Amino acid sequence: MAEEAKTVTLQTSDNQNIKVDREVAERSILIKNLLEDLGGESGEEIPIPNVNEAVMKKVLEWCEHHRKDPPASQDDDSDSRKKSTDIDEWDQKFMQVDQEMLFEIILAANYLDIKALLDVGCKTVANMIKGKSPDEIRKTFNIQNDFTPEEEDQIRRENEWAEDR
Amino acid sequence: MQSRPNPMARSRRALRDVSASRSDTSASTSPERGPDDDNDSIMLQANDSASSLAPSLSPDSDEEGLRRALEERARVSPISRLPAELMIAVFAKLSSPADLKSCMLVSRDWARNSVGPLWHRPQTGKWPSLKTVVKTVGRADSFFDYASLIKRLNLSALGSEVSDGTLQPLSACKRVERLTLTNCNKLTDLSLTAMLHGNRHLLALDVTNVDSITDRSMVMLANNAVRLQGLNITNCKKITDESLEKVAASCKHLKRIKLNGCSQLTDKSIIAIAQNCRYILEIDLHDCKSLEDESITTLITEGPHLRELRMAHCWRVTDQAFLRLPQDATYDALRILDLTDCTDLQDTGVQRIIQAAPRLRNLVLNKCRNITDRAVMTITRLGKNLHYIHLGHCSKITDAGVMQLVKLCNRIRYIDLACCTNLTDQSIMMLAALPKLKRIGLVKCGAITDRSILALAKPKQAGHGGPVTPSVLERVHLSYCTNLTLTGIHALLNSCMRLTHLSLTGVQAFLREDLVVFCREAPAEFNEHQREVFCVFSGIGVSRLRSYLNADSPHRRHPSMFIDGQSTMFDDDGEGADPEMIVNVTARANGMGLNDMDDDFGEDSEMMG
Repeated sequence: MAEEAKTVTLQTSDNQNIKVDREVAERSILIKNLLEDLGGESGEEIPIPNVNEAVMKKVLEWCEHHRKDPPASQDDDSDSRKKSTDIDEWDQKFMQVDQEMLFEIILAANYLDIKALLDVGCKTVANMIKGKSPDEIRKTFNIQNDFTPEEEDQIRRENEWAEDR
Repeated sequence: MQSRPNPMARSRRALRDVSASRSDTSASTSPERGPDDDNDSIMLQANDSASSLAPSLSPDSDEEGLRRALEERARVSPISRLPAELMIAVFAKLSSPADLKSCMLVSRDWARNSVGPLWHRPQTGKWPSLKTVVKTVGRADSFFDYASLIKRLNLSALGSEVSDGTLQPLSACKRVERLTLTNCNKLTDLSLTAMLHGNRHLLALDVTNVDSITDRSMVMLANNAVRLQGLNITNCKKITDESLEKVAASCKHLKRIKLNGCSQLTDKSIIAIAQNCRYILEIDLHDCKSLEDESITTLITEGPHLRELRMAHCWRVTDQAFLRLPQDATYDALRILDLTDCTDLQDTGVQRIIQAAPRLRNLVLNKCRNITDRAVMTITRLGKNLHYIHLGHCSKITDAGVMQLVKLCNRIRYIDLACCTNLTDQSIMMLAALPKLKRIGLVKCGAITDRSILALAKPKQAGHGGPVTPSVLERVHLSYCTNLTLTGIHALLNSCMRLTHLSLTGVQAFLREDLVVFCREAPAEFNEHQREVFCVFSGIGVSRLRSYLNADSPHRRHPSMFIDGQSTMFDDDGEGADPEMIVNVTARANGMGLNDMDDDFGEDSEMMG
């Protein structure tokens, strides 16, 4: 493949072009596969119709920081990663954004197929839930309670066993 | 979507789609998954498309209204942008059932997406929680169909308190993938057959010590659990060849099988398993005393993936089991072979094993008393593949064999030479140079002296004149090595900072009141004499013994040592007195697995007799 293939240009949903190192962009499996499908023909913009510029920049910031991370193996998907809500310090800071951006990052990570970022995003949300009462959770995320009191009571009874281990 | 449904119909359909996607993702029943694969990939399956993003809607006016409503909701509560699959991924990160229960009570949407993760593996470790689980499952008008959400059911914590009456109501759960009933020895075929009836999703069944179950349960298993991958019927002595042959014939995906203690089983059922279950990875036949050569030969020749074959105490197995393997065939998948107490095994059998399985990593020949240095010489052909070797009670082997073994297999991490009474300091001084050695067992190697221990304590250098690497030795078994004194052990303690286990039972020099205070308690079943000589330091006990000896030492520093007249002083590097490492030691000690402990008790207590 030609030398100039080292950077790629991504075109976001709001028609902005972002130039980025190929290695960084390839943290996204979606982009990686796209580039492979395109073969050696580089130079053209790669349309990313579901992600806008602001979110894309944020996602690429994460990819840049993690560009040298080893690719996740099958084993990484096992329990340790699934349950633990430990997040490394840089990622924690990275995720200190408003809720709108947080969920946009998660959606983009899912769409772009960046498992590690999706994972950090989900852990961040899980940490916002941990230890809160249902009402506190509703307040945190501005959610309407659409249960009738009877339904709420029924669910409480049916799940009585679910206390802290 | 082509026919432009009205917004109401659309939203109802959207809801249905959501719940459909929920049940799909949490089903996790693809046959490729191993029974130990703990990851139920709610979130990890490849995402098909942009389905997670807001669908681009046509400018149809009906849909325009819906779009605006969704947009408004997304603005007010941004989390509503996450589709069901991503909410489930978030909930999967919550390990506390209490947190998941709170999520269920937030809203209908949240309830729908968190109920799956919550009920995936309900808490059944204590009576009160099990009772409410059973009650909810039995409710006719429950809010959700909880029974179908349970994927894992484990009643082993309640053991013999569990009766057929406990399990029966749970037979409504037809999507259980893992059923663990270890030690629930009151259970009978009555409830187990009900539980198994109609369940096509079962991946793993563990009925260890549920000894009243019979062929009835196994036939039910065979007729239903077509995806079964793991089966443990340890000590279920009423199960016969007949039903196991049926299981073998219909559960072709079996990968892991434990039949420990099933001495009633014969070659018939094992051969059926070998011939039908071609994906078999691990089989444990511990104490299946009726097995003969043919079943073992067949397991090896028919199982191209067989990785682990354990056949401790299969007394009837002889060299022929291996000599009958086809000439020149090799079984590269085989990594672990346990032949403990296969007393008829001779050197020729071992030679054939090594030829046929050149990539063996763990080889246990404990109590294969006939083998000699000739067998050990063949084992050396495993070279760097060999990590774990147990030659306990192989009392014919000598220094010559061990020295050659150590020379050619320098990746050994675990070696046990208990009761190899011919061995002298020569062997141990060679062993001491193994760079990765973590565990060494020398119980009753009566000839060894402090010279061996000082050699183990000697800091290792990476290459000639290279930096000193900290010792990785963790467990040292020296019970009944009666010549040992404080000098050697003190040096060992000070150079091996990762040491978490040191057994010195029956070694006179350590049976001092000021030292035994750091020992752990003797096992309850020990008699008075056994208690008197018991001397095992583990975990924090090792560190305490070390500090005590250092404080007590007249030189304040550890004693300098003379090996072959050569003085070897430790420097600070060699001592590995890095505070981080000490923390590490304690952490390991606290996290010491129960299995590990049992192993040691077994070993030491066995030596008592």
